[in-house]
Amino acid sequence: MPGIWIYAENREHALELLNIGRRLAVKMGTTLSALLAGNHDAAPDYIAHGADEVLLLPPLAPDQSHEAYLPVIVDAAKKADLDVFLCTATARGKEFAARIATRLETGLCSSCVALDYDENGKVLQMQRLAYGGAALQKVTCLRRPVMATIPPRASEPATAQDCRKGHVRELPAPPPSAVKVLERKVKMRETKDITEAKVVVCVGRGFEKPEDLALARQLADALGGEVGCTRPISEENHWLPEELCIGLSGVHVKPDLYLGLGVSGQIQHVTGIRNAKVIAAVNRDESAPIFGVADFGIVGDLYDAAPKLIQELKRGS
Amino acid sequence: MPTIIACCKWVIDEAYIRKGSSGNLDFSSVDYKISDYDRNAIEEAVRLKGSHGGTVIAMTVGTPEATKGVKDALSRGPDQACFIADAAFSNLEPSQTAAILADVIRSRFADYDLILCGEGSSDLYAQQVGARMAENLGIPCISFAQKVDLDGERVVAERRVEEGIEVVAASLPALVTVLPEINVPRIPGVKDTLMASRKPVMTIRKEDMTLPHEAFLQTLSMTAARMDRSCEKFSTDAPEITRFVDALRKKAVIP
Repeated sequence: MPGIWIYAENREHALELLNIGRRLAVKMGTTLSALLAGNHDAAPDYIAHGADEVLLLPPLAPDQSHEAYLPVIVDAAKKADLDVFLCTATARGKEFAARIATRLETGLCSSCVALDYDENGKVLQMQRLAYGGAALQKVTCLRRPVMATIPPRASEPATAQDCRKGHVRELPAPPPSAVKVLERKVKMRETKDITEAKVVVCVGRGFEKPEDLALARQLADALGGEVGCTRPISEENHWLPEELCIGLSGVHVKPDLYLGLGVSGQIQHVTGIRNAKVIAAVNRDESAPIFGVADFGIVGDLYDAAPKLIQELKRGS
Repeated sequence: MPTIIACCKWVIDEAYIRKGSSGNLDFSSVDYKISDYDRNAIEEAVRLKGSHGGTVIAMTVGTPEATKGVKDALSRGPDQACFIADAAFSNLEPSQTAAILADVIRSRFADYDLILCGEGSSDLYAQQVGARMAENLGIPCISFAQKVDLDGERVVAERRVEEGIEVVAASLPALVTVLPEINVPRIPGVKDTLMASRKPVMTIRKEDMTLPHEAFLQTLSMTAARMDRSCEKFSTDAPEITRFVDALRKKAVIP
């Protein structure tokens, strides 16, 4: 059965892909199938959210890596003669998609930010960012299936419809994987998830010493938000953990307000904040690139501006 | 003693790309650099050689102009380089780059033990070449590693996944893509640069290769990404701070 397939690691991401996949399936006049690993009880839920078919992936042994599913998925995909295959652009999803694409001898649009089906030309046009986010690249795929990875939270989740019907099929058990899992360390978050925050105060290189980060925290508290940082702060200075690093290769945030303190605005960082509703910044350097992408910019020393902002916010509330 | 291949790409430094008046990209004043994340791959390869001995080969595919990149890569510690150069290799798609690299590794460096790649290139950042190359070569692939080491006949790595970290192992030969936080790449000094020009470089041309490498993706356009923001400026004077906070309140982004 030709159609559209989606693969996501968890329910949240699956619902986002189901939303994109459903719209596409209607336009293309085809069906939507969702691969499901882990809790198979979620199959009716996926159907309610738009899947016509749920393909169950049998559970993995403790030392089996996710990639064990590759031959199973590729085999089923070849039989199905797919049109489109979408994966969430998580670490596993990205590796998965690239490897599946290689085995299916097709192209892959990585971190696709927009996907449009042209009904007349019957072509799927995809958009992605390149050059650190400075450029928008439009691509099409010359082979089938058309594959893309979609960043988490790039789409709204699908909404459930009670009466939707679909069928469930179990795929064969995965063979042993070449990569063995020796240990799984579930990350205990030291910090709040900034991807969900309404306000993000971002620490940049303008901060002189780690103690000064208290200033960013106070400002974040006054704004009811969380603290994030640029890559040098986490990677070179180790002042904040990696999961707070915002940018192309870090986390992408979309708060109502992003406020950069001493952030210069390198394109890789800006790519991680481009979906913020309002971008504001404080920087001493009037010609800092951040001012070119900010709605509101304070030209001045963050050590001068931040305490004043905290005071003003307290006064007004 | 392991043979480690570190793959790298010579790319346009995106910091020099200007937005043209018609929304085009202005490449007129650009400079080039070794892709940021590939510096971590090279550094890690050299670090592994430091603890296990062996040989590090820097490998790149690109246009003949990328010869500067080969020298840059060699100044970061590898023993030798393999430069796959052709004027036709200017806008390769990830599947092509991966196929070309795999082709050369298979035919010229068949006794390799480990291939290291950056997590993605700083220009396209498609993050596909490593995984695709592993598939092309039929070897284990470990992506997004924040720690990697060799343990006899296997590679052990910590990779970052959605729910935390997986410590994984695979038998050699294998391919690992590394995250930027795995190490801090060195900044080559004058001596390193001088030494680099004395290291051996194997150059391979398109006609030396056996397989055709066709593109699967077609780029329709590459334009400047738009960020339409109001770019209003304020100072740190008290009334200006008040005006700034009011502006945020008006946008209803703060209480």
